[in-house]
Amino acid sequence: MNTELTTPTNSNPIQIGKILCVSAIVAVLLGVGLSFVNIKNQQFAIGEQIRQTERKIQQVRAENDVLLAKVTELTSRPALQARVKSGYIAVVNITGDKIARLTPPVQATEVGTLRTAFNEVGRQ
Amino acid sequence: MKFTANTRIGIACGIAASVFTVFSARLIHLHVAKHEEYALLAAKKHNTRQVIHAKRGMILDRNGEILAANLPVRTLVADASRMKKPEALAALVSKHLSLDEKEVLEKFSTGKKYIVLKREVPEESAMALLNEMQKQNLRGVFSEQDAVRIYPNGEVLGHILGFLNHEGKGVQGVELSMESQLVGKDGYRFIERDRVGREIVLYRGLEEEPEHGKNVRLTIDMGLQSILEEELDAAYKDLKPETANAVLVDPKTGAVLAMACRPCFNPNEPGKAQPEQMKNRAIIDMVEPGSTFKIVVAAGALNEGKVDEKTTIFCENGRFAYGGRILKDHHGYGHMDVHEILVKSSNIGSAKMALMMGGDKFYEYVRRFGFGERLGIELPGEIPGLVHPPTRWDKLTITRMPMGHSIAVTPLQITMGMAVIANGGHLMAPRIVQSVEKENGEVVLKKEPTVMREVVPEKTAHYVSQALIGVTEPGGTAAFARVNGFQVAGKTGTAQKVSPHGGYAAGKYVVSFVGYMPAEDPKFVLLVMVDDAKIASNLNYGGLVAAPIFSRIAERAARHLDLTPTMPPIPLQPAPIASTSKTEERSN
Repeated sequence: MNTELTTPTNSNPIQIGKILCVSAIVAVLLGVGLSFVNIKNQQFAIGEQIRQTERKIQQVRAENDVLLAKVTELTSRPALQARVKSGYIAVVNITGDKIARLTPPVQATEVGTLRTAFNEVGRQ
Repeated sequence: MKFTANTRIGIACGIAASVFTVFSARLIHLHVAKHEEYALLAAKKHNTRQVIHAKRGMILDRNGEILAANLPVRTLVADASRMKKPEALAALVSKHLSLDEKEVLEKFSTGKKYIVLKREVPEESAMALLNEMQKQNLRGVFSEQDAVRIYPNGEVLGHILGFLNHEGKGVQGVELSMESQLVGKDGYRFIERDRVGREIVLYRGLEEEPEHGKNVRLTIDMGLQSILEEELDAAYKDLKPETANAVLVDPKTGAVLAMACRPCFNPNEPGKAQPEQMKNRAIIDMVEPGSTFKIVVAAGALNEGKVDEKTTIFCENGRFAYGGRILKDHHGYGHMDVHEILVKSSNIGSAKMALMMGGDKFYEYVRRFGFGERLGIELPGEIPGLVHPPTRWDKLTITRMPMGHSIAVTPLQITMGMAVIANGGHLMAPRIVQSVEKENGEVVLKKEPTVMREVVPEKTAHYVSQALIGVTEPGGTAAFARVNGFQVAGKTGTAQKVSPHGGYAAGKYVVSFVGYMPAEDPKFVLLVMVDDAKIASNLNYGGLVAAPIFSRIAERAARHLDLTPTMPPIPLQPAPIASTSKTEERSN
């Protein structure tokens, strides 16, 4: 009696090891692919955030420039002079005794002014 | 012929491998060999070159006060191919931009990809519109950054600053002369957009940062400029002259501290100005200087040893016959030394000094003082004036030129000529640009004072200076130029206007006063020039018209510069009564 087991020549056995191996490779590839997609999505999201931030910075800069221009206009001499004329602000003369001088000034005149334009009188 | 299974499989695999090899080869060819070509083609189709505009530099005064700045604005652009609800968008756009809704809708219906809706839209309005669009989920309108140039001081300093044309390029003044420094270099970025027009940051291509324009700092002191403009304005209203000019210069450095002309214009609205208003007459107008020019002949004759402090010249009692014509003085004078000739402003004395020097030598001094050449100020359009060489003189020229006739000079040249006497004999190069700075304040170019040449030795300049002090003292021609507490030196000038039809225009005079203060250590040289003041002819003299303006400006300038008075107060005098007699040759 022949008790030896022989492999039939036309058999097609399931090779579990190979299937597992291929499945593992596919799973890894799938994981890599999904990770790639996920990272790509994250990149797009970050890109969008960058765009928004850049836009905000640009807007803040533009607003800053607008404010600078407005401040310049409001503090320009013609604007300030117009305000002085309208009485909104006043220019007060600084008297001689309020000025600390490194070099002593010449004697004040009899009317108390240190310097008067010769023609300020003639202009009146 | 019968193939075995293995052979058939082998053939099939071989064919498949060949096909894939061909495909692979083609792919490699496209990706490697043709990479540049197709990348460019793809970039052309999907990429947009986004320009990042560089900011134009600001113009500042010497203390950092802003004279020209940029106001950000936006240009609103529509892309009709990206719109979903054009009607709603048109309604929103017309509301925010004050445009006609129908016109906007018509523009949208063209389907064009680039439709300019409105330019120079204020930042706030543009942002309000874009935010509202976002809220209502509308798309198809974008904004582009732009800027308009503003000059916060309006007409003040308009001639110096100039303005820009519609392309943003300098047309006049510092805006033109310093264009290369002020203008920056635009940057760029290649970008891709998604189907709603948003940039895909991930696919950003080549990028170059913009290089912003540099700030230009001027030598102008806005405090002094305001004083100058205010006083010139007052004079322009009172005297109603054709033109009026004033130039204030630091004689030791050649720095222009203030410069103003009337009529003037507002650089914020250049379109409203007439060409005549736009001329910076201090550098592009030629005038006969009149007696202010006598300093040249006096300094020359002294330096050449033709006269000295003690030499007296006979002034022919006011009538000197030369070259077939009579040269007259305002009053008849006898023997006078150089000091008196300058104080009394004698035409005959000056003419005789020139005759003693000889034409060639006198011409040499005229040129050494800087007349007849461009002084090189950093402003466009400076002219050299008109100084003929002796070979082209007629017989009378040598007697007329010393008193400032038969010659044409610019107001700036007169000022710098007087600065030669004020600073001890050096002709300084006038400058209006102090430095060029980066946005962070780093100085990239600093202009240092430049001595163009030594004109006369200090001793000669000092002697002439002493005579010029006498001009503003009682008995001189410009007592009205005095300033309480300070010693003032200067010279008046009154020249008949040259007629455009030839000869001189009757009854029209260009009067001037150019002086410096304090005379012992000059801090500034100031020229005031008034062309054809509408006052009585017998009052139209440099000493009566220009000298009082000088005095007012100089007094206020002294306060601004905090100069300590060095002289005792001067007793105020009643206004001198001008002579009613009219002479052919006016001498002050």
